[in-house]
Amino acid sequence: MTGKALALCVILLGSLGAFIANLSSGATSIPLDAVFAAFFAFDAENYDHYVILYQRLPRALMAIHAGALMACGGVVLQGLTRNPLASPSTLGINSGAAFFVVAGAYVFDLGTEAQGLAAMAGAAFGFICVLSVARLAGGDKDPRGLSLILSGALVSMLLIGLANAFLLSDPARRSDFLGWVTGNINHVYFDRLVFFWPLGVLALAGLFFLARPLTLLTLGEEKAASVGVSVRRVPRLALLCVVIGSGSAVAICGPVGFVGLVVPHVVRPLVGVNMRFALPAAALFGACACLLADILARQAFAPYVLHTGILLDLIGGTVFAVIVKRFYLSPGGQTA
Amino acid sequence: MMRLAKALDGRRVIRLKGGLQVRLHNVAGGCVLLLAVLALTLLSLSVGFTQTGLGDLLAGMLGGKLEGDEAFALWIVRMPRILLGFMAGWLVAITGGMLQSLARNPLADPGLFGLSQGSMVMIMLVLVFLPSVPLAYLPLAAMAGGLGVALVLIWLVGGEQSSGLAILLMGIALETVLSAITSILVLYTPDETSYALSSWLAGSLFQANWSGILALLPWFLLSFPAVLVLGRALKVFDLGNEMAMALGEPLKMSRPALLFVAVLLSSASVTAVGPLSFLGVMAPHLATFLSPASGRAKLILSGLMGGALVVAADVVSRGLASDLSLPIGLSLTLVGVPLFIVSLRLRALRLALGD
Repeated sequence: MTGKALALCVILLGSLGAFIANLSSGATSIPLDAVFAAFFAFDAENYDHYVILYQRLPRALMAIHAGALMACGGVVLQGLTRNPLASPSTLGINSGAAFFVVAGAYVFDLGTEAQGLAAMAGAAFGFICVLSVARLAGGDKDPRGLSLILSGALVSMLLIGLANAFLLSDPARRSDFLGWVTGNINHVYFDRLVFFWPLGVLALAGLFFLARPLTLLTLGEEKAASVGVSVRRVPRLALLCVVIGSGSAVAICGPVGFVGLVVPHVVRPLVGVNMRFALPAAALFGACACLLADILARQAFAPYVLHTGILLDLIGGTVFAVIVKRFYLSPGGQTA
Repeated sequence: MMRLAKALDGRRVIRLKGGLQVRLHNVAGGCVLLLAVLALTLLSLSVGFTQTGLGDLLAGMLGGKLEGDEAFALWIVRMPRILLGFMAGWLVAITGGMLQSLARNPLADPGLFGLSQGSMVMIMLVLVFLPSVPLAYLPLAAMAGGLGVALVLIWLVGGEQSSGLAILLMGIALETVLSAITSILVLYTPDETSYALSSWLAGSLFQANWSGILALLPWFLLSFPAVLVLGRALKVFDLGNEMAMALGEPLKMSRPALLFVAVLLSSASVTAVGPLSFLGVMAPHLATFLSPASGRAKLILSGLMGGALVVAADVVSRGLASDLSLPIGLSLTLVGVPLFIVSLRLRALRLALGD
């Protein structure tokens, strides 16, 4: 118990540190006292203060929003499907949301707010597609859930391909969405954060509220049912929260991949499977991971600024390979 | 010289003088595919913005004079696209067929296994960091990349017992990593090359020209002896390692040789037109659907099917969606994913029946 609390504290401190580091680092490195001064004694004449409040803070907040929601989505999906590779990005949620946003913007000329709703609908659509394809491909008889992940990958390819087809059809508007569709954390999308953050917070709150029944569900449906958990309603509510949360994150900064896949695997050894600890830890760690990835994306290849989504794909793909190796390809592979 | 006979399994075959026999059904399938390719070529010649077609082409060949626009449309735009598309499709489909027998996995595909991405990363690395290297060496870089990915994949996947789906997932993981690397490299190239690269990255025939065809031609020609020499080995690979060894197949020699040739052919096509994902799965499956075959016949039928599919996709993307300029790799993905899901379904049904 104390060990878990300690781990939570360390993660909390780590993400605070990442937050401050994210604010202070950039094309010009701003000293820490100036960072604090920007918050507590804002000076409109000071260029550094302006950069921090209007460029770096929005970016950091977006990274926190996306990271926390994706990571919690990953924890819940991996718990419910009992599959170590489940996450919003591998189960078609992200790509569905991205496709609906692009299609909505191109075909129906949706405004920013409506694009958020389209992202939610798309997230649900992508997830349902993946589930039905997996069932079609014989997922019921596959105890290790490989075909679920494979159908996730296929549906994602299809949906991203369709989104690309829309993007190509109008070169003039392509540049508006090109950065977004690869998953980009950038202060130009701040107005989207202003619209969609309440949805993300709502989804997080819902998941925290469901933490106890979700923990019981991961122990097995019979056990959960025997202590009075509704085994039909709780997963549905949880999935709804995941879809809303990931949808809002995608609506803001595009399909930021793989945070949801990686973070649960880091968090689980630290705080265990109890959702009451795992969810806050995952939220904090996901935020921390996105903040660090954002720093890296801005600094690693200076003066070029990478898209954070590309960097996360790079890291996430590697972890994906490691997980496949560990769970599916080692003799007597472990089970999640 | 050549006579009609019945094979041991009762099917009708054509037996050649040297003892070679070909199933009549496969010959018919091949003819159908050849006719389809010809028909698609005619269609492709006449589809597009400029009103012209085969008639003009023949008139031009027979010594008549072609108008400037028409000559341009036929010789500079349409013919290269058709030829390059057919050759690339042929190569990718043959690679897919080889990999499927090699990995004994009906879902193997050079694109999904990351081989094409590996070739692309190497080409990009050469273009970005060694811009002085002549373009003729690019296929070598592509080959090194594809071979590297193949070796990494074999190393990661390890034992022979691993399930086919797990290998596929590993391939997809590698592909994700590699495509992230290509995205980073695109940032390093100057704007004008970056735009050309991104259409090549999506797999396209926009830049098809006669020098590209000349560059791909040797590899295309090489694929014929490769099919004839290695095709026989494929037939016994499908039976499993023990059976293959029992039948006298030198596995230690022929497996690496086959892998090497497969990577070679796939890299050549990537260099020419970029990755054509899903074609390597699609073409052999469709070819088998048309006429079940194994060994050489399977490879040849798959190759024809692959070429026909690419030419058809090109016709569709130029004819129906001319204002949409869809890269051919993208349209193949859009068609390929549903077909892939269908073949997953068929596989599941077969497994269920097998139990």
